Amino acid sequence: MGPVPRTLELFYDVLSPYSWLGFEVLCRYRNIWNINLQLRPSFIGGIMKDSGNKAPALIPRKGQYMANDIKLLRQHVQVPIQFPKDFFFVVLEKGSLSAMRFLTAVNLEHPEMLENVSRELWMRIWSRVSAGLWKSSGRVLDDFLTFPSHIFKVTILPSPGGSTVPVTPLSPHHLPAECSFQDEDITQPQSILAAAEKAGMSAEQAQGLLEKSSTSKVKNQLRETTEAACRYGAFGLPITVAHVDGQTHMIFGSDRMELLAYLLGEKWMGPVPPAVNARL
Amino acid sequence: MGPVPRTLELFYDVLSPYSWLGFEVLCRYRNIWNINLQLRPSFIGGIMKDSGNKAPALIPRKGQYMANDIKLLRQHVQVPIQFPKDFFFVVLEKGSLSAMRFLTAVNLEHPEMLENVSRELWMRIWSRAAEKAGMSAEQAQGLLEKSSTSKVKNQLRETTEAACRYGAFGLPITVAHVDGQTHMIFGSDRMELLAYLLGEKWMGPVPPAVNARL
Repeated sequence: MGPVPRTLELFYDVLSPYSWLGFEVLCRYRNIWNINLQLRPSFIGGIMKDSGNKAPALIPRKGQYMANDIKLLRQHVQVPIQFPKDFFFVVLEKGSLSAMRFLTAVNLEHPEMLENVSRELWMRIWSRVSAGLWKSSGRVLDDFLTFPSHIFKVTILPSPGGSTVPVTPLSPHHLPAECSFQDEDITQPQSILAAAEKAGMSAEQAQGLLEKSSTSKVKNQLRETTEAACRYGAFGLPITVAHVDGQTHMIFGSDRMELLAYLLGEKWMGPVPPAVNARL
Repeated sequence: MGPVPRTLELFYDVLSPYSWLGFEVLCRYRNIWNINLQLRPSFIGGIMKDSGNKAPALIPRKGQYMANDIKLLRQHVQVPIQFPKDFFFVVLEKGSLSAMRFLTAVNLEHPEMLENVSRELWMRIWSRAAEKAGMSAEQAQGLLEKSSTSKVKNQLRETTEAACRYGAFGLPITVAHVDGQTHMIFGSDRMELLAYLLGEKWMGPVPPAVNARL
């Protein structure tokens, strides 16, 4: 039997785009490096409050930098991540408490599904624009469209609830090339259920977990996980905690994976390593 | 003659430890990648003020994180960087205005010395007492006097404003001019992404030395 796998704890929140990037990179390496990756759904709002830090996007230039950064990382890391134009609305108004409680419930009851359900929730915020945000904000459609015109074209789909979405005619220079709108968010129960079902869960399973999300057990578990991240020194997310040779290292962000490889004595092959046939 | 080297502008301040790390990595790659590295001494205090940002160390957990981070990066990046015990004093009380004006003067009068003198200033704050940078006492004195002229003060201000126009909220920033596009990259931990943008090979922070001269 080979050497004992090193434990990596990934503390993340689906509200955090860099959490998604770190998550995907570590999921790729879990079958390449000798590691035991443990996913720890956490609440970034709690970490910010406890550390005295603030969301980076509150500094205008940081928000602008993040939008460009995500665009570049999309290609470099090969994750279909898009910065929604109404990021402030997503971050400040909607938050992630329901979603992270749901993932906490998933982790308690069906941990094998945690990876897939987490991914579907990220997809809802960070991969498709939410027409729900636009509708409720009362702003014109083109305020939400930042996509390069040679890549996307607008197609409006009816929302699942059947409500009609008013279409504001776009002038040619505002009209991007394609992007589909669906009534998606991550705070409404039906949105979370939809993500869970997309991840392969049955409607009954998903409904059951949604109910469990508001129990004390689940609320306390999310609080404990978030506090654990704080004790490791978190001032944001994602953080990766590596337990190596009796030492504990906390690494912040998704751009330190090469340093993590160095600490583990493993080989870094970039954010998109060649797939490995792990099973004989 | 080969393809035209791509211009990389590195805006930095010696008060910034990550600026030193980014600087050393780019200095290593300047003889490996097809780039023209231009050093831009800037004033981080001005960038913080203009962007509304604050020094990370003012959040206690960020300061603690940086101390550990620098310890790890010292080994990984192979730069003799140490977090000084009196960091707050260094950062908040002393600041870097004189040092960056001095480097601005060096860049105006003896640009070929800018790399070495910058390194020596980083060594003073972030490593140990400085060794000589190869500058004579007279040269140094002359430049020190020039540092307080309007010409030098204005140059530092302009360079700092240029960084702000590129969107800087801190330092270091690397501005890469590639295929008619301009990319601003913040920090010293995005060099692999920079390599990707340049279409160059990333060989880690300590690439094998290349015999650049035939």
